[in-house]
Amino acid sequence: MRLFIAGLRKLIRRPATWITFGVLAALMSLIYVAIGATADRVANDPQRVAALAALTFPRAYDSVLSFLLGLGGLFALIFGAAIAGSEWTWGTLKNAIARGESRTRYVVASFGSVGALLGLGLVLAFLVGVVAALIGATLAGVSTAGVGDAATIGTLPEKLLRGWVGFLEQGALGFTIATLARSQLAGIGAGIGLYFAEQFSTIFFPDVVKYLPFHVASAMVALPEGGGFGGGGGAAIARLEPNMAALAVVAWLIGAVVVSALFTERAEIAG
Amino acid sequence: MTGTTGQTTTTGHADGLAIALRGLHKSYGSHVALAGLDLSVPSGVVYGFLGPNGAGKTTTMRLLTGLIHPDAGSIELLGRPFERGDRRRLFDVGALIETPSFYPYLSGRENLRVLAATGAPVRPARIAELLELVGLTDRAGDALSTYSLGMKQRLGIASALLSDPTLLLLDEPGNGLDPAGIVALRDTLKQLAASGKTVFVSSHILGEVRELADVVGIIAAGRVVREGPMEALLQEGGAVRVRVAKAEVAQARILLAGLAGAEGPSAPRATASSATPSSEADGPAWLSVQLPHERAAEVNRALSEAGIYASGLETESTLEAIFLELTGGQATSGREGTFQGVSAARSGGSVEPGGPTIEGPG
Repeated sequence: MRLFIAGLRKLIRRPATWITFGVLAALMSLIYVAIGATADRVANDPQRVAALAALTFPRAYDSVLSFLLGLGGLFALIFGAAIAGSEWTWGTLKNAIARGESRTRYVVASFGSVGALLGLGLVLAFLVGVVAALIGATLAGVSTAGVGDAATIGTLPEKLLRGWVGFLEQGALGFTIATLARSQLAGIGAGIGLYFAEQFSTIFFPDVVKYLPFHVASAMVALPEGGGFGGGGGAAIARLEPNMAALAVVAWLIGAVVVSALFTERAEIAG
Repeated sequence: MTGTTGQTTTTGHADGLAIALRGLHKSYGSHVALAGLDLSVPSGVVYGFLGPNGAGKTTTMRLLTGLIHPDAGSIELLGRPFERGDRRRLFDVGALIETPSFYPYLSGRENLRVLAATGAPVRPARIAELLELVGLTDRAGDALSTYSLGMKQRLGIASALLSDPTLLLLDEPGNGLDPAGIVALRDTLKQLAASGKTVFVSSHILGEVRELADVVGIIAAGRVVREGPMEALLQEGGAVRVRVAKAEVAQARILLAGLAGAEGPSAPRATASSATPSSEADGPAWLSVQLPHERAAEVNRALSEAGIYASGLETESTLEAIFLELTGGQATSGREGTFQGVSAARSGGSVEPGGPTIEGPG
């Protein structure tokens, strides 16, 4: 527990934590405000309808969540990679091991603190997104009466929980890639490459892609089609059923953490 | 550094050794870092681990802290075998390996706090004590990224002392410290040894080790080539210096060469060299011959019997000479920025292994 708490203490004070969150929140806010401000200038009716749908509550809740699970997953991956990679780059892992700390416990506790921050970040970013969507809706002249829709709000905790597990999985991927690379920058770079490689692979391997980590993470949360942004998938790709996707996400998550721990356990730390 | 830890821990191992390494081998790919290293570090001493760059000092430190594992050989730490999985043994060991490694965005105090969450439990008050000890109390709240190299080194030493370890492993601890910091570090380490702890200091700075260490091990090409008490080592490698008139230098050189050559095959190799200060280019010159100190009177008598009256006679102990002789004045394979041939360049002439060499002035 003291390792986990020390991990949280490190992450809360780390500029990368707040920069990652800030960029995601700012990007999302800008997009929603921009949609609201320009909705009446869109000539194409279907596009205008889609834009206004993204701002119309209660559907806007799913829209915000969809955005977060799409682009936010990439940010989770980058965050995980930054944290794990810096332990090698800065030599701080070496310090802990030389003090007799268990390598596996250190890795799991470090990832645990990353996971806790990802959960906090998801909730905060979701709230920022909802506020941005409200502002966008006001700018677009769309009614915000549905913001208090009890039925939709009642589904949010489960959706956020599933979204958090998806974030954990994507963060774990970044964490593991950076651990294998023993480098912060290499981990972030390889993680981003993997993210885009998965998106591009929909062209060549449409039947396989639905099992890949970013797609299963977005498929795990049951969101209406066409209601938002990102989210991997795409119209041409069949998505896994949410509960099946959840199993796949958990498998990816556990696999990534185990690989990370095993690699660290066996590693010769000579740098 | 402003004081001592004020804590006393005694060590009592059956064989009296804090570290015992036997036949240790370690390779990185095709590069052999350690080639059968044997090392015995007594408890309660400051042990100076000397060697040229690339000789295997840091590899040894990494092995002692479980960061890497040996290909062959055995490690005993604090009287018991230390193998993969024996991580709890390190609860009694404090280490500073290579450069100090910390989170740059955290303060010095926070860095110690998060490090204290790993390994052996640490008393909360310990951090403040250590910051005081290393003279960082005033800057403890500042981000590490604002620290100088010397301050980071001080923090590194504090981190090594976090768990009040029985065995302290320090890799080049004087790096970046100012002269006052080096003196304070030396005093602190000596006091730690006096309180029963064992301090293992790796360094290639001979002056630092000579001032600090009770026992010395010299490593070259992955093996220990000499190990023993500092005093005994210096005694064996002692030199006698005489100051003679320039006109008598040539005769004195022959005489000293004869004395050095008379040491016999079992004695330490005797060499003589000299240097004439530029300000005295036309005046008396110093000649130096490597002989045990007790033979200084013999040198004086031989010179006077030959009608040469020395205007000065001194004994000196040159760890540098011993080090260069034992290590051949070079690293294992010219790695890590070693300057090959430094020995010959420093002596102002060629070094001929296997026999005495006399070099006169000018």
